[in-house]
Amino acid sequence: MIDPERGTRTRETTYIAITVNGTRWQGDAPVEEVLLDLLRSRIGLTGTKRGCESEVCGACTVLVDGAPISSCNYLAFEADGKAVTTVEGLARGDELHPLQEGFIRNVAAQCGYCTPGQLMAAKALLEENPTPSYGDIAHWLTGNICRCGCYPAIASAILEVVDETKA
Amino acid sequence: MLSPFRVLHPTTVAEASAELARLGDEAVVYAGGAELLLLMRNGLIKPDYLVNIKRIPELDGISVEDGEVRIGTAVTHRRMETDPVVRIRLPALTEAERHVGNIRVRNQGTLGGNLCFADPHADPGTALLVYDATVELWGPSGGRRLPLQQFLVGTYDTALEPGELLTEVRVPPLAEGWRAAFLRIERFYRPTANVAAAVSIKDGQLEGVRLAAGCVGPNAMRLLELEDQVRGSTITEAVALVRESKPYLTEKLEPVGDVLGSAPYKVHITSVLLTRALEQVVARARGTAHD
Ligand SMILES: Cc1cc2nc3c(=O)[nH]c(=O)nc-3n(C[C@H](O)[C@H](O)[C@H](O)COP(=O)(O)OP(=O)(O)OC[C@H]3O[C@@H](n4cnc5c(N)ncnc54)[C@H](O)[C@@H]3O)c2cc1C
Ligand code: FES
Ligand code: FES
Repeated sequence: MIDPERGTRTRETTYIAITVNGTRWQGDAPVEEVLLDLLRSRIGLTGTKRGCESEVCGACTVLVDGAPISSCNYLAFEADGKAVTTVEGLARGDELHPLQEGFIRNVAAQCGYCTPGQLMAAKALLEENPTPSYGDIAHWLTGNICRCGCYPAIASAILEVVDETKA
Repeated sequence: MLSPFRVLHPTTVAEASAELARLGDEAVVYAGGAELLLLMRNGLIKPDYLVNIKRIPELDGISVEDGEVRIGTAVTHRRMETDPVVRIRLPALTEAERHVGNIRVRNQGTLGGNLCFADPHADPGTALLVYDATVELWGPSGGRRLPLQQFLVGTYDTALEPGELLTEVRVPPLAEGWRAAFLRIERFYRPTANVAAAVSIKDGQLEGVRLAAGCVGPNAMRLLELEDQVRGSTITEAVALVRESKPYLTEKLEPVGDVLGSAPYKVHITSVLLTRALEQVVARARGTAHD
């Protein structure tokens, strides 16, 4: 890449300040850095997984200001000033999030690779609609692929959490 | 890994278009990046500059003016899917938006990015065509307005000139008594085929008819000749006419066989979706005829 003023190759970085699971992170980010790489390689949060890198599989799902996005294809600088939530942000100390408890009770994972993404997508769903139907869950999670085929258990886990909320 | 580039953040349309004109082939418009970053990651394009249009306030709104719904190019799919104005005035567009990709693509991708990328396997364009939508463009020589059908030129091809931006999509809601529907089927995450229909009924006959089909042809298309045939018929006659329209659909859409299905399959499924959409809108229109 050539800088028109100076005719030399330059690399652009932006200074960003984000909140990751409630903790502030600030620093320079190369503009081409995707959020997944910032989280995994530089902040050291490896719960978020890399899968297809094309917005299809959902393994990299994190929440930016509550909205699920594919961190594999989302430039880190876009999160400037925003709150990022990853799977590491679900538990409160030793106390697991109800969704994590539900996933464990229902054995909603086999290899577990898709699980962080499933949990984050499910969290976003419940935040938006605390009482989703089976159909709502299936529609919302279409973009979170589970190669082990744990879909029924994932849906049961989420529906259990919905019942707990209702009770 | 993405290879390095620079990002420009214009705050007005004029500024964005001036940057695009100045930088020529070195720059591309960057909206949600849902498509653009994938192209770059795969080395298909290597722009030196991304012109980010998400910080231009006027491109990010949904409003109603002069009876038209105006949707800024940078409005996300998710916003359209959940917007009450869109749901009430353009229900077939809400339905199309509900099915786009997955929740993450809908949060990131924009209407303008969808139309400008012009992937034939896209949903919003098909729905917008039966609303007679037009697009607003802004470039080095000023603004112009085009019917959406003229903007969609072919596979990955639009009427955009160098340095030109899509700024807004304008959609007149259907007149009183009209009803619209959108249907799609998919094999993977993108649509294999989709259709939209809008009709008005008088004395048991389809008085007004608009039909569109997407994905199977190079771009979404209004089926004007089929509309002419169907207009004035009863729903039973209309369904029969659509069933017999496969030679027309083949000629009009020029389908090609691929991983999503053979050409005859795609034409068949398009005609099936069209009959279902017609039945749906007729049922809806009749529903209101009683009250
Ligand atoms: C996994 C996946 C599934 C998908 N499924 C569907 C689906 O089911 N249905 C569907 O319809 N779409 C689908 N899409 C496509 C996606 O929804 C659209 O392409 C998306 O809206 C692109 O918008 P963007 O803002 O991210 O565009 P970008 O990636 O930012 O831009 C796309 C292209 O348009 C150009 N551009 C963007 N805005 C403008 C503008 N205002 N003026 C001029 N040029 C512009 C850019 O330069 C670029 O060439 C899918 C995409 C993915 C990755
Ligand atoms: S790794 Fe991001 S969607 Fe698959
Ligand atoms: S548990 Fe293995 S991919 Fe879902």
